[in-house]
Amino acid sequence: MIYVIDHNDSFTHNVVHQFSLFDKVECDNYNNINKKKLSEASTIVFSPGPGNPKDYPTTSKIYKGFKGKKKMIGICLGFQQILFCEGAKIIEQKKIYHGFQSNIKVINNKSLFQKGKIFKVGRYHSLKLKEPFKINNFEITMRCSESKVAMTFENNKDKIYGFQFHPESFLTINGNLLIKKILSA
Amino acid sequence: MNKQNQLSDIHHSGTPYIIYKSKSGFDLYTDFSKKIILNNKNVINFINKKYKNNKKSTDLFIGFFGYELLNNLINIKIPIQKNINFPKGIFYKPEKRIKINNKLKYKSSNDFKGSKFKINIDTNSYSRIFKKFKKKIKSGETYQIKICTKYKTKSKIDPLDFFSRLSQTNLAPEAFMIRDKNYSIISCSPENLITKKGYNISTKPIAGTLKKTKLINKIKALNYFKKNLKETKEHNMIVDMERNDLARICKVGSVKLFKQKIVEEYKDLYHYVSLIKGKLKKNIKNIDIIKAMMPGGSVIGCPKINTLNLLNHQEKENRNIYTGSFGYLKFNGDMRFNIIIRSILNFKNISEISVASGVVVDSNARHEFNENYIKAKALIDLFK
Repeated sequence: MIYVIDHNDSFTHNVVHQFSLFDKVECDNYNNINKKKLSEASTIVFSPGPGNPKDYPTTSKIYKGFKGKKKMIGICLGFQQILFCEGAKIIEQKKIYHGFQSNIKVINNKSLFQKGKIFKVGRYHSLKLKEPFKINNFEITMRCSESKVAMTFENNKDKIYGFQFHPESFLTINGNLLIKKILSA
Repeated sequence: MNKQNQLSDIHHSGTPYIIYKSKSGFDLYTDFSKKIILNNKNVINFINKKYKNNKKSTDLFIGFFGYELLNNLINIKIPIQKNINFPKGIFYKPEKRIKINNKLKYKSSNDFKGSKFKINIDTNSYSRIFKKFKKKIKSGETYQIKICTKYKTKSKIDPLDFFSRLSQTNLAPEAFMIRDKNYSIISCSPENLITKKGYNISTKPIAGTLKKTKLINKIKALNYFKKNLKETKEHNMIVDMERNDLARICKVGSVKLFKQKIVEEYKDLYHYVSLIKGKLKKNIKNIDIIKAMMPGGSVIGCPKINTLNLLNHQEKENRNIYTGSFGYLKFNGDMRFNIIIRSILNFKNISEISVASGVVVDSNARHEFNENYIKAKALIDLFK
């Protein structure tokens, strides 16, 4: 079972539908977490949402508690949340991407995806990862072809994955394939 | 008796009635046997109530949910605002339905004297509000927010005269009119929020407006929207948000984009429109649908909950009917609801027109302020 933690977003249920194509999905709000579901889940997904990772201490606690024990996937805010918990800084960016379709490129040969491959994806983010960024086992694997902003990270040792873009958006082409590959990793 | 004459007879008799756009013309509902004034306490029971008879075309409740009521349904509190004490929602049980054609010919016999409209936010304060929300977008608290502006004037109006003139120039697919003893609503809403038939549900969000000129035809309008990054991004966001709201109540894999970013033409403007459909999960009740879909996302901003909280704390006046929903709940469970925009609420001889346009990161205060005026213009012109 996949447990999706919702951060009051208007895209969370698109995420739920997308993951439901592959497994049973449960979804609760971050301030209404069900401990039983949390412990039964094989994968935890941190949803997109408004604001900044520091606004969601409960989510950070869940991440730290289950790191290395369960597969975890973060989308948009969820991506930032995981990196924030690992000590990274999340900052405002000059150009903001809301409802934006971008090309992103696999830039790392440690990725589950083939280096050099380009994806067309939908983006909704005000904030971004501050770089340079170096944390053990975490690799930035895709970047925006134009701005070079970090778009995915993969930690294949602990099975932790993050998407700064929205694989569930109608703007993302082949979003289901991306999720399928991460889930079967 | 001729149906147009029948309409004007009903109008002159003073009986309350409702007109709602249908596919081929208008439906006139009257002879109300029940009138339910909604409040935060009775609304859930009203929506959940089941009825045995459901075969007749009048086996339905028709009316509106105001904005405040819809916020309350999803547990969002609105701070104390300037309020004209207009009811939060009203529904009627009609005993008679008359089909009429698109050509409403009614003319008031009295001369109409209109006075000037006053706006509740001037350009300067609009710019200030605009700057404030741009900051909130930069920090990620909202991705898009729609700030409401109100135009008001004191005047006694003949609603059928207004509605007839409006429908002659602007035959909007979700147009409606309510005439009751102490208030009237005239609307040329173009936006359908919920069409539910059995297990099928659809929504048709509008995001993107272009003023019509002689030089711009429909094809040019489409090119404008396609090339305009701001309009495109705003629209994309609404499409994903409406997919999300449908996903909450629909079967996995059933939510699909049927029409993606097409242009629809109206008297003064062009709209950028999409159509999204889904199949409802079993055990979903109408109350679940209403709570998932209302208030309609395209007139609020995104993400919905945080953005509602932000704008409720900004706006000093109650939105009343504006961005609420008008439509009907059939006794067999089917529903049709619009989003109440492009509307005149006349209550206590004051007419108010509310409009809103979006703050996104690359929108500009003057442009949006003017866009508000374009949206209000077709209605304000009726007072001339």
